[in-house]
Amino acid sequence: MVAIVDPDEDLVRRVGQGDPAAAQTLVARKLPRILALAQRMLGDAGEAEDVAQETLLKAWRQAPKWTPGQAKFDTWLHRVALNLCYDRLRRRREIPTDTPPDRPDEGPAPDRGLLAAETGVRVDAALKRLPDRQREAVVLCHYQELSNIEAAALMEISVDALESLLSRGRRALRLALADMAPGASEGDGR
Amino acid sequence: MKAERLHALADAYGADLRRWPASERAFAETLIAADPSLRAVLDQAAALDALLDASPAPTPSADLAARILAAAPKVKTRRFHLDRIAFYLGAGWAAAACAGVVAGVGLTTHVTANERADAVLYQSTLVAVDDTEVLG
Repeated sequence: MVAIVDPDEDLVRRVGQGDPAAAQTLVARKLPRILALAQRMLGDAGEAEDVAQETLLKAWRQAPKWTPGQAKFDTWLHRVALNLCYDRLRRRREIPTDTPPDRPDEGPAPDRGLLAAETGVRVDAALKRLPDRQREAVVLCHYQELSNIEAAALMEISVDALESLLSRGRRALRLALADMAPGASEGDGR
Repeated sequence: MKAERLHALADAYGADLRRWPASERAFAETLIAADPSLRAVLDQAAALDALLDASPAPTPSADLAARILAAAPKVKTRRFHLDRIAFYLGAGWAAAACAGVVAGVGLTTHVTANERADAVLYQSTLVAVDDTEVLG
């Protein structure tokens, strides 16, 4: 078995030894990443903070007994965060809410012009409406920039299955955001 | 067939070849170099990539980072040594205090004995003087 080269190995070792500077570096390096993952998976800022905090607290407990060479620490963090996200998504399904069922995003009219922030809101809404597994594939590969092999391993699927989820997810996003694509307004008769 | 594969990869991974499987990047570059019209496949995927990139990444609050850091592992061994040093220092002072008390008590007893002897000798002298005076 080939030993895995982990760029975080030394940092995790120092965290495990109780080095406060290393803990600070690890938080600066990983917290934004894990928070972004949770936010995009859950679409809820408060829940994302809870997941990010819980993930990092598990990291503190794991660091002193971390065995280098078996997995990347970043991949392990993603696995913990995704499990916590799926726990929450499951709970949401078990406890019905008053949230109306998903509908196609009507969005603002294409000729209205959108600020970047509004575009972000539209994209987040479209992401939130994707089926969980498609959203997970897009988030891991596009936003978290994991390799296809890492993402497939995290999702416990083959690379072919990952590609299928990615294609379907991106196609759905393209449709949902079609009015915002470059050239969409020209077809509006202006 | 090769163009179909290019379409499939762009549909899945987008236009940025860094997100593509490492083994397929050279394939894509070779294919596009041979047929530049295939560049349009990547351009179409790039439009969606740009929209996805408009989704802002959240910034962690200072409070969240502080809560997490407060629970970070601490160096336990150093604290243990400091405790031990404090214990031994305290024990040393206590031993010194006990030794002082013992020495003090011993000295006091010795001094008292000497002073008593001096007093007896002095009084005996006085008695002798008184006898002489009485006897004339």
